[in-house]
Formats: sequence, structure tokens, C-alpha cells
Amino acid sequence: MNKLLLLFLATVVLSGCAGVPVTDTKRNSYPSMYSDQKPISMIIVPAINESTAANAGDLLNVTVTQPFANQGYYVMPVAIVSDIFKREGILEGTQIKGLPASMFKKNFGADSVLFLTITEWDKHYAVIAGNVSVGIEYVLLSTETNEVLWSYTQRVVVDTSGNANSGGGILGALIVTAISTAVTDYVPIAFKVHESAVKALPYGKYHPKSGADGDDKVVNLSAKENAVQAD
Amino acid sequence: MKTIICGLVATLAILSGCAATVTEAGYYWGDYSQTLYKYTVDPSEVTLANHVQELENIIETSREKGLRVPPGVHAELGYIKARQGNDAAATAHYETEMSLYPESRLFLERLTVETKKGSEKS
Repeated sequence: MNKLLLLFLATVVLSGCAGVPVTDTKRNSYPSMYSDQKPISMIIVPAINESTAANAGDLLNVTVTQPFANQGYYVMPVAIVSDIFKREGILEGTQIKGLPASMFKKNFGADSVLFLTITEWDKHYAVIAGNVSVGIEYVLLSTETNEVLWSYTQRVVVDTSGNANSGGGILGALIVTAISTAVTDYVPIAFKVHESAVKALPYGKYHPKSGADGDDKVVNLSAKENAVQAD
Repeated sequence: MKTIICGLVATLAILSGCAATVTEAGYYWGDYSQTLYKYTVDPSEVTLANHVQELENIIETSREKGLRVPPGVHAELGYIKARQGNDAAATAHYETEMSLYPESRLFLERLTVETKKGSEKS
């Protein structure tokens, strides 16, 4: 029951932050994704980490392949790609930002390159409650034209205060909070962030609904604009 | 060997029991992110072996279910095999990845060339 209430509150807060969401269809929001510019493959480069968590980028690598592959794209194998970048001395996305996107076509054969910026990766403790918040900006560039094909901003806050019925009183709750706000919790939360964000991404070639989702009115326009504004 | 098979069977049984979810695109990922996560935060022979086992499980389960193996799984397994010096297995996995996903060809061919260069140097 408690969880439901928190979820409700979180939803209210989240929708409050974004103002009145204006939505549009995928085709209107991302017309290039319905043209012959639509990419088949994407390379995901090391994340730009603006959060206070030093290892957030590494952990993000673990979670990013599945949601984008599930959306129908060929994701260049992230584990190998990040190894190659490390060997080249590139550990952070900011080192790549200035490079022409065509480089990723030439060296990796990728049609598009996905930049991730971690804007938030924090845990907050309170006496009997804790939460983890993760915010990510996504920008997908064409490696042929350098054009932004898709962009989105997504933030998720998850309550980690444990099960309401775990018992043990306040002390029990404290322990549960400390344990469940551990670093491993970022993996499922990062998944949630990606999974929410890719709902606005047009399906790719390997998804059965590829090309058939243009009229889905699911793109929050401020989430689309915010991802490219600061850059 | 027997224990490995037993373990594999048990793992398969558990996985197919509770985690055998297939995505809309028709992919079975098993515990991919969990074993990769454990290997990333604590790279050791054990965590690597677990991740390899999971990649093999994904390939095996996909075959059983008649699914396309998810993008990158064969490539990643091939890459690990190459680092372990098993070039034949690496090549076989790269070839499978390229036939499943032709858009991976340029990348994997370059990777093969570089791996060869690396092993000649050492």
C-alpha cells in the first residue's frame, strides 16, 4: 500500500517537474527516422558523466545494449567497443564529442552514434526511506550527415526503503534502506530509465513493428528538446 | 565435465522456469546484464567464466526456442575466446554474428585483423 502511495506521489512529482507535457507522434518528432536515413546499426560511445558518481559510466555500459537492441537496432557490441575506446585512451564521452560522426562509419561501420549524458546518478538516505535517482540524456546522430536523428531526456526516481512489510521496526527499516540503496540497485534503475526513454524511439529493422509506429503519439516534446539544448 | 553439465542443466532449468522472457523483437537475454555487471565491477576468472557461461546459455536457449541470438552475443563470446587464444572459436563466433547481422561485418573484420596483428607482435 505504502509503495502504491509512493509510486503515485512519484508520478505526481515527475509529471509536475516537466510542466504540462506536450506530446507528438514519433514521425512528426523524428522525421529522419522514417526516411532512408533511418539507421540499422548504432554504436554507443562512453557516456559523458555529469553526475557525482565516478563509476556511473562503466555501470551504464552494462545496461544500455538490451533496451536499444530490443527496440530493433543492431547495437555494436558494447563490451568490445568500450575496450577499444579504453585502449585508445578514451574513457569519457567528452573526449569524443568533438570528433566528426563520420569517424564511426569509417571505423566501425555504424550508421548512427548514440551519446549518453548522465545528468544524475545519486542516492539519498533518510531515516526510514531512501531513494535512487538516475537521469540520462540521449542524442542519436547520423554518421552520414551528422544530423540529430533522435533525442530524449529521461529521469527516474526509485524508492529503496525496502518492503513495507519487512518488519523489524525503525532499526530494521534503516538496515534495509542501507542495503537496498547499494550500488547494485543502479542496474535495474538504469534499465528503467532506458526502457522509458526508448518508448519514444522509432522501432528499428529487427523489431516486428518497424516502420509501423509513426503515428504513435508518445514523444514528450520537452524531453526531446532538453536533450539537445545544453549542447 | 559432469558437474559442468549438471550445473548447466540446473541453470537452464532455473532460467527457463523464471527468467525465460522473450522480448518483442524476439530476443532471449537470460541473465546477461547481471553476469556482465559482476564481471565489470569485479573482473576475475570466476566472473568471466560465469559471463561466458551465460553467453553460451543465451545462444543455446535461443536455438532451442528457435529465436535469433541477440545482437552482439556471438561477437562478445568470440572476442573473449580470441583473448583466451582460441582463434578458431573466435572466428566461428564472428562468422555467426556476421551472418545474423550483416551490418556487423566491417567492425568484426577489422577486429579480426587487429587481433592477428596483436598476437603476431607478442
